[in-house]
Amino acid sequence: MTPIIEMRSVTKEYRGIPAVQDVSFTLAPGEVHALLGENGAGKSTLTKIMAGVVQPTAGEMLVDGKPTAYATPAEALRDGIVMVFQENSLVPSMTVAQNLYLGEEKFFNRLRGLYIAAQQFLQSLNFNVDPWATVATLGAAKKQMVEIARAVRQNAKVIIFDEPTASLTPEEKHHFFALIRRLKARGVSIVFISHALEEALQISDRITILRDGQHVVTDDASSFDRDRIIRAMVGRSLSEELYKRDGAGPRPAGRRVLSVQNLSMGRVVRNNSFTIYSGQITGVFGLIGSGRTETAKIVSGVLKRDFFHGGEVRLGDRPVRYRVPRAAVLDGICYVTEDRKLEGFFETMSIAENLQMGELSSAQSGGFVLRMADMRALAAEWTRKLNIRAVDADPRVIELSGGNQQKVVIAKSLVQKPRVVIFDEPTRGVDVGAIAEIHQLINALADDGLAVIVISSYLPEILNLSDRILVSQRGRIVEEFSPEQATEEKIMYAAVH
Amino acid sequence: MIASAKRLLDRWRGGGEHAVTVPPMDGALRPNEAIEEAPVLVEAAAPDNLATDGARLMFSSGASVLELFSSGARAATKPFAAFDSPVSALALGPGGSVAAGLERGGIALRGGRHDCLVMEQIGGRALSCVTALLFEGEDTLVVALGSQRNGPDRWRHDLLQRNASGSVWRVTLPGGQATCLADGLAWPCGLAAAPDGGLVVAESWRNRLVGLAPGRRPAPLLTDIPGYPGRLAPRAGDAGHWLAVFAPRSQLVEFVLRERDYRESMMREVDPCFWIAPALSAAQSFLEPMQVGGLKQLGVLKPWAPTRSYGLVIGLDAGHEPAVSFHSRASGQRHGVTSCVEFGGRLLATSKGGGVVVSLPLPQGGVR
Repeated sequence: MTPIIEMRSVTKEYRGIPAVQDVSFTLAPGEVHALLGENGAGKSTLTKIMAGVVQPTAGEMLVDGKPTAYATPAEALRDGIVMVFQENSLVPSMTVAQNLYLGEEKFFNRLRGLYIAAQQFLQSLNFNVDPWATVATLGAAKKQMVEIARAVRQNAKVIIFDEPTASLTPEEKHHFFALIRRLKARGVSIVFISHALEEALQISDRITILRDGQHVVTDDASSFDRDRIIRAMVGRSLSEELYKRDGAGPRPAGRRVLSVQNLSMGRVVRNNSFTIYSGQITGVFGLIGSGRTETAKIVSGVLKRDFFHGGEVRLGDRPVRYRVPRAAVLDGICYVTEDRKLEGFFETMSIAENLQMGELSSAQSGGFVLRMADMRALAAEWTRKLNIRAVDADPRVIELSGGNQQKVVIAKSLVQKPRVVIFDEPTRGVDVGAIAEIHQLINALADDGLAVIVISSYLPEILNLSDRILVSQRGRIVEEFSPEQATEEKIMYAAVH
Repeated sequence: MIASAKRLLDRWRGGGEHAVTVPPMDGALRPNEAIEEAPVLVEAAAPDNLATDGARLMFSSGASVLELFSSGARAATKPFAAFDSPVSALALGPGGSVAAGLERGGIALRGGRHDCLVMEQIGGRALSCVTALLFEGEDTLVVALGSQRNGPDRWRHDLLQRNASGSVWRVTLPGGQATCLADGLAWPCGLAAAPDGGLVVAESWRNRLVGLAPGRRPAPLLTDIPGYPGRLAPRAGDAGHWLAVFAPRSQLVEFVLRERDYRESMMREVDPCFWIAPALSAAQSFLEPMQVGGLKQLGVLKPWAPTRSYGLVIGLDAGHEPAVSFHSRASGQRHGVTSCVEFGGRLLATSKGGGVVVSLPLPQGGVR
């Protein structure tokens, strides 16, 4: 059978440095093909070549057996190749329905019909998204759903998903996989990039693994297991360090650092109370919409609690109420966002400039901008500390891979010398190698006596990292587990019931 | 000026000191059923004031002081002394002295060098509300007076009146020369010696522990306790204390405490047993306020009304941070834990509301 896409010895270089080197790849009709690798392995570059976003430096691509070179994504779209990006490409000021039908508007549009069609279409995909909602008001998961729905609507022959499930709940993932199976049954080919290895093993027919821009292996999914994938991805087995606690046991609680009492914000955070101690990692698990992120944002001054009887946040023994994040930073509270592209960094600025931005809001800066040499020294220090890998000395953050971008976001917070650090989904969209490094970093912070909060939807991460586990449901903490007591089933039960 | 404006703003919108909030019981205070499941040593009417001198163990029940002989899970009691008024505080000192504070007022000593000594006044004040006693050697007694306006049995009145008229005194026996160590305290109800030679005082209505040292103002050691702290007892090894918390805080009570007119009206017109106020035991009457709602949580239907009574003992480490806790939860009976003491490798606690003295195993490996 002729592959629908065939790539032969494709190379893509940026400023002479290869992001993808001599990679060959085939995609059969009706196949689900998982593309795995660490951040910076070249997965996104390879798929961007397929979708016409970037052009290869060398090599050849054949579509339906014909040599093809796309200059723009529109050309790829005409051939039925659609890419769903990790960072969504929706228009935030338009409604969901308008985004779904963007580019297909008629001279006269019947809005009511448009919305009804959009609602029916979303329901057919089992996506619980309101077509009347403005995209800017949606959370990351729902935006991702709209993005997927838009790709499916375009009747593509090939759909490339870049981390499609990173922000979906378990139930939404279940629906998403059912959708992939339906698309596959219709003969649609799927390229599936994911860092969740279980998902790749579960859904894909074949798996291709890249490392450092080079092809490592392509084989049937049934011939892989988790350990073989990790070995191929990183050249060593990381299972132990990623998903097993060391024998040390949980850290004892230090002093009470933060006490959140009866915090309320609309219907999202409802009478929420918990305490955070120094020298400990407090894991917060909850489904999307359970109010974890919003609570963290209130604590760190990004969002405001209810004006009347909104509860209390006590830092040590002092009640605090921040109007802007800088006030929280000055008090030593840092929030590492879950949406790094939108809130985490200035993508067109360099690492040094981003770190300078973090440093500028901290107490030690005194409001003065650093000299260029100091700024570069700061960047060099944190690049070394966090092992940020980049093609040159001080690249723009947009040029970094997801894992390295995440490290920049973390570094940007840590330069502020915090005493409470809130990590919101710290390893979302990050490869296994970087996950291990970020986990080590989080552990080191707690060992140094900082109060660390890790918000995560990924249960193995919560179980692996936390010294105590809080479960959030419908805007409040409903249960607390010690690591010895906690199991995935117990935590999930508390999060759902 | 700005502070005044901020106070007004806080009052208007329920922020700052006007926030109707309660600290959570989590971390070391995570609820369990330890007190509810603990073996009962003795059943007695309103047991209170557990005290030890290392060799003897005593507690009060009404107007009697009983000596407790404990051997593992079994125990027996022997009357030690009886008074003409319920005992509100008890301390055992070196040399066999036993000091008892009486609800009608005064302190009576039995045994030891100061046998039969009775004190009616201290520093010119009537000894009307003795809430805690502590021997500092054979001839020095530290006395906590909970309030100048109410006796020990009227503790709920004192809370709802929002009084802060308590004081702590050091008295030299037998002459009665007294020194005021601190005044203006909000129901000091627990006393313990600090390793630095000072004192640790449980200030119930401010939900905190304060440290008293000569020539210094009371310094907060632990604040924002999620209940009303009661008696303190030293932990073995001179590292930290055990703290009995005799009633829980709830948002409902905190709200009532901020509503002066409502409070005064309630105290004037409603029988005290139906007040919205902390209690040492759950009332059995259907007239109990607000016991009608329900809330489904974790698949279990729970009563909606916030509990007014609870049983809690907290183990504090050397830095006065909670490290371990024992609970009798809202669904339990052993509420109103007014005192506790470590004795013979066990932790004993009096549940005044439940009418029992229980024996709890100490945490393995120490508190921290």
